[in-house]
Amino acid sequence: MTTDIHTGPGSSGRNAPLIEVRDLVTSFSTEAGRIKAIEGVGFIVRKGRILGIVGESGCGKSVTALSIMRLLPKPSGVIERGEIRLRGQDIAQLPVEGMNHIRGRQISMIFQEPMTALNPVHKIGRQLREVFDIHRSDLSKAQARTACIELLQKVGIPDPESRMDEYVHQISGGMRQRVMIAMALAGKPDILIADEPTTALDVTIQAQILQLILDLQAETGMAVIFITHDLGVIAEMCDDVLVMYAGKVAESASVKDLFSTPKHPYTQGLLRSIPTLDSRRKTILPVIDGMVPSLFDLPAGCRFQNRCPRAMPICETEPPPLYRVGSGHAVSCYLYDNIKDESAGG
Amino acid sequence: MQTIIMVINPLTIKKFKRFKSIKRGFYSFLVILTMILASFFAELLVNNRAIAVRYDGKLFFPTYGHMLPGKTFGLSYDYETNYRQLKQKFDAEENGNWVLLPLIPYDPFENDLPEDLYPPHPPSLERQHYLGTDTSGRDIAARLIYGFRIAILFSLGLLGVTYVVGVSIGSAMGYWGGKFDLFFQRIIEIWSNVPLIYIIIIISSIVVPSFWWLIAIMALFGWMGMTWTMRTITYKEKTRDYVLSARALGASNFRIIFRHILPNTVSIIVTFIPFSVSGGITALTALDYLGFGLPPPTPSWGELLQQGWANLDAYWIVGAVILAMTITLITVTFVGEAVREAFDPKMHTIYE
Repeated sequence: MTTDIHTGPGSSGRNAPLIEVRDLVTSFSTEAGRIKAIEGVGFIVRKGRILGIVGESGCGKSVTALSIMRLLPKPSGVIERGEIRLRGQDIAQLPVEGMNHIRGRQISMIFQEPMTALNPVHKIGRQLREVFDIHRSDLSKAQARTACIELLQKVGIPDPESRMDEYVHQISGGMRQRVMIAMALAGKPDILIADEPTTALDVTIQAQILQLILDLQAETGMAVIFITHDLGVIAEMCDDVLVMYAGKVAESASVKDLFSTPKHPYTQGLLRSIPTLDSRRKTILPVIDGMVPSLFDLPAGCRFQNRCPRAMPICETEPPPLYRVGSGHAVSCYLYDNIKDESAGG
Repeated sequence: MQTIIMVINPLTIKKFKRFKSIKRGFYSFLVILTMILASFFAELLVNNRAIAVRYDGKLFFPTYGHMLPGKTFGLSYDYETNYRQLKQKFDAEENGNWVLLPLIPYDPFENDLPEDLYPPHPPSLERQHYLGTDTSGRDIAARLIYGFRIAILFSLGLLGVTYVVGVSIGSAMGYWGGKFDLFFQRIIEIWSNVPLIYIIIIISSIVVPSFWWLIAIMALFGWMGMTWTMRTITYKEKTRDYVLSARALGASNFRIIFRHILPNTVSIIVTFIPFSVSGGITALTALDYLGFGLPPPTPSWGELLQQGWANLDAYWIVGAVILAMTITLITVTFVGEAVREAFDPKMHTIYE
């Protein structure tokens, strides 16, 4: 389905990164001055892979997604530095007109709240057809309608023909998220960004939606950037993980490595705080003490130092760089400084 | 453009049902609608031309179309037939010919000046001047009805122009914000302080203001109100998630404004319409009263009001105008209130 894109220039081989983010810095102007919501974020997503971005509220997950989509609230949000290479083309500073060809066709996004992300005054069919109006103006009305019905079928909406003529408030939350997914897929994108797509749904529907995204990913071979605060979802869905903390990458690894050998004290703390079925009832759940530092008042060194059980003097002065601790496994913590030295030395 | 037309969705139907359930507003709406429709066919109701004439076995419908000279009906003259006299003649002859006259058989421009009497004439059923005549012998009812038609058309025309301009500039201000918004805010503030009445006096001393001239002038100084409202709504709507998700699908600014934001503001725009209509009627009446409105002999409520004011002993002039004004403005306001109530989003939610 996406073969036409693969014959284009710039895509060398199967394993070329679809999207590569390098040293991304996004800042917002506030009444208290400019703050950097994310700093030095970087990752690579290849075709057919699912990258999970995990972190707590305000850590910059959504800002990363919005930066890639170039949907930062204007004029306060600005990409200050860094590259977002989409098939080799840097889109970090592309003008809006150029982005309109990329959004929906190369990168699509689904949002947290399917209730508000659909326009209340339009019928579902019309909203879905809009994607075809924008990107596939060659289709006739009847063709577009058929394509819409097929899409709705694909995302598991029963009786799609009659749903086409319904309004958003007439269908359930899970259905709305399915419609959102259908809209995102209508332009046959290479990359789907899902920003906490199941947060607003109840648990059984969550599982259905996650399965739907997995199925569609397998079918279309698109890459997915999956943003969540739920490590369980990451374990279930993703191939690679990016753990973010206070606007920076704390650790990036494959799912297997992250769950078997978490390196960053923050990741370790997160994994410890997941309740398991075999732990005894009513035991106290381990928590990470302290609070995320405010973006207005960041410490000089490592941003996790005030909560870190293994903080060292150097953590207070210099922000740690990313250390490579294995194949595809990097961590931003001084604990692994010597490992790097050893490996470099040996 | 289909997007601007109100979307008939279940919510809209609910709003219409609510509106219908507000009896006072709904019946006022029927009244004003009847008045408007009737005024569009005023030629059949108020006219010195007959609706139908039967003469020598042939039927004539003189209301619309060319004037029929008196000779058509066997009279001696070449100028337009006087149908009131023709009716008297036919009635007296009783040979199968007949004339069907409108309810009020007078033209709004026609001076009915019977001998030995000086206008204004008081109301008289016998002469079919149901509300009397004005100081030059013109039928007041006829002038009221034709004046109403002009006022309502003026008002709707003005509304159309001001809303198109106000909605466009307002949504652009709200959507783009920033310097563009600031610039237009200052423009509007300055523009709002231009004294409209002096401008109209100056312009009407240069040209005789026609219907379209007046609409143009009034619109030139009347677009700001809608602009403020639209600016605020657009500011609010553009931050809603559906705009973001439309953006994420690659929708252009133009598409977002016209296909996403505007349809969501229609219900708010609609609530302003009745109040704008009554505002337009009042404005035209006021201008006519001051003598800066439409040139005489255009039938006009303001001009009648002025005559009435100058001839208070002919109480029927001022009485008729005030009565007509009151009925019109009250019904329009009732409609406006009901529309506002029916479209109030808070009305659909009740916390118990």
